[in-house]
Amino acid sequence: MSEIPADLRYASSHEWIRCDGGTAVVGITDHAQHELTDVVYVELPKVGRRAEKGGPVAVIESVKAASDIYAPVGGEILEINPAVTADPSLVNRSPYGEGWLFKIRPDDKSELESLLSASAYGAQIGQ
Amino acid sequence: MKTALHESHVALGARMVEFGGWHMPVQYAGILQEHAAVRTRAGLFDISHMGEIEVEGENAVDFINYLFTNDASRLQVGEGQYTLMCTPVGGVIDDLYVFRIGEEKFYLVVNASRVEEDFSYVRKFAGNYGVEVSNVTASTGALALQGPVSAEIMQGVVSESLPEKNGIKPVRILEVNCWLTRTGYTGEDGFELFFPGAKSEILWKGLLEAGRDLGLVPCGLGCRDTLRLEACFPLYGHELTKDMTPVEAGLLPFLALYKEDFIGKQALSAQKLLGVKWKLVGFKMKNPGGPPPRAHYKVFSGAHEIGEVTSGTLSPSLKWGIGLAYVESGFAKPGQPLEIEVRGNRVEAEVVKKPFIQKK
Repeated sequence: MSEIPADLRYASSHEWIRCDGGTAVVGITDHAQHELTDVVYVELPKVGRRAEKGGPVAVIESVKAASDIYAPVGGEILEINPAVTADPSLVNRSPYGEGWLFKIRPDDKSELESLLSASAYGAQIGQ
Repeated sequence: MKTALHESHVALGARMVEFGGWHMPVQYAGILQEHAAVRTRAGLFDISHMGEIEVEGENAVDFINYLFTNDASRLQVGEGQYTLMCTPVGGVIDDLYVFRIGEEKFYLVVNASRVEEDFSYVRKFAGNYGVEVSNVTASTGALALQGPVSAEIMQGVVSESLPEKNGIKPVRILEVNCWLTRTGYTGEDGFELFFPGAKSEILWKGLLEAGRDLGLVPCGLGCRDTLRLEACFPLYGHELTKDMTPVEAGLLPFLALYKEDFIGKQALSAQKLLGVKWKLVGFKMKNPGGPPPRAHYKVFSGAHEIGEVTSGTLSPSLKWGIGLAYVESGFAKPGQPLEIEVRGNRVEAEVVKKPFIQKK
């Protein structure tokens, strides 16, 4: 059973988002890191770049393959996590903590409402 | 298809994937951990998906020598060799191991995804030579025990002496009759064993138990791929295809061009003489922290597209992006700078000597 914190919102493409005032933190779920297996490389967007809801913004590579990471909401990239590019295994070890990927300023906070709740995401991954 | 060990893999927590028509474990504890185990201690792989074909008859040597590129007449009973099966124009149908298990009897080990095509090709010529060929894949189980302590583990369960490199011996392991070979696909010392599929679980569990104190762990296809790539062993469908020849793949040592005749001989001899357009090279990324190369990424030298990556990964041993690529032959010397296109960006790399990892 993978961990699905109740206070986060989820995209069906396995990203989580935590909104705190005008900014939101994004990462990938415990289920996603488990499916990807050992993460060996993380490519993050440039700060200041605009992301579209559902558009590819980052790449996570396991030993076997590269996977796109999508923006759960549209907005401007405010900050990226330098710790995960230096040590990609943080994504495996702490997907909801030190393994966060980037911070985004949502254009439209109501987009968050369209994302999945923890229980709906759990149902999607068969939990 | 499922191997006889399917339930055992699932019970060990394996992640299963489709490979060559088989449902196979890609990893148990994790690819990096399993890779390290094989490089430093030992790993056990289920390779029951591999194909096995028996060839028997008075003219078996001539038959094998006509179908495959290497020279089987040099094999004594109990010896084996790596060889290739080519089309008349030199494209690769498969790469395989040929073991001489009797004066007139050979055991072929072929790729899972190629068994059907290999067998129909072999059978097509069998009549001309009066040899019997049988595809025993479905009834055969196979395991690979690989790593620096694999000989110590194997000697613990085999009373006879172990086969020499590339050799094959009939042995009894845990009351099961096996063909034991000193071969592998990892660049480490190791063994492969072939036995009646119904006995798979006895050997899988017995060997894991016998090697536990020496650090033996179950290993999946994920680390099998990173291990073979570090050792620069080609993988059918990546480095080897019908569009490329063994000369282009750098496999000249396995082409006995002095043989009177074999399928593809003319084309391959001409390529050796006249040179090739493409060469398979090993390359390393300049920056260890950059993106790992992947199959099908394009290779450039300045403005010119000069080739394509066939396999690539972050080498777990070197912690560095490595890969194999076909490049135009003028760009194949070690030290040649290359640029690999990764998601629209050019990333610097350099041709290096193969293999990436070499064991004494």
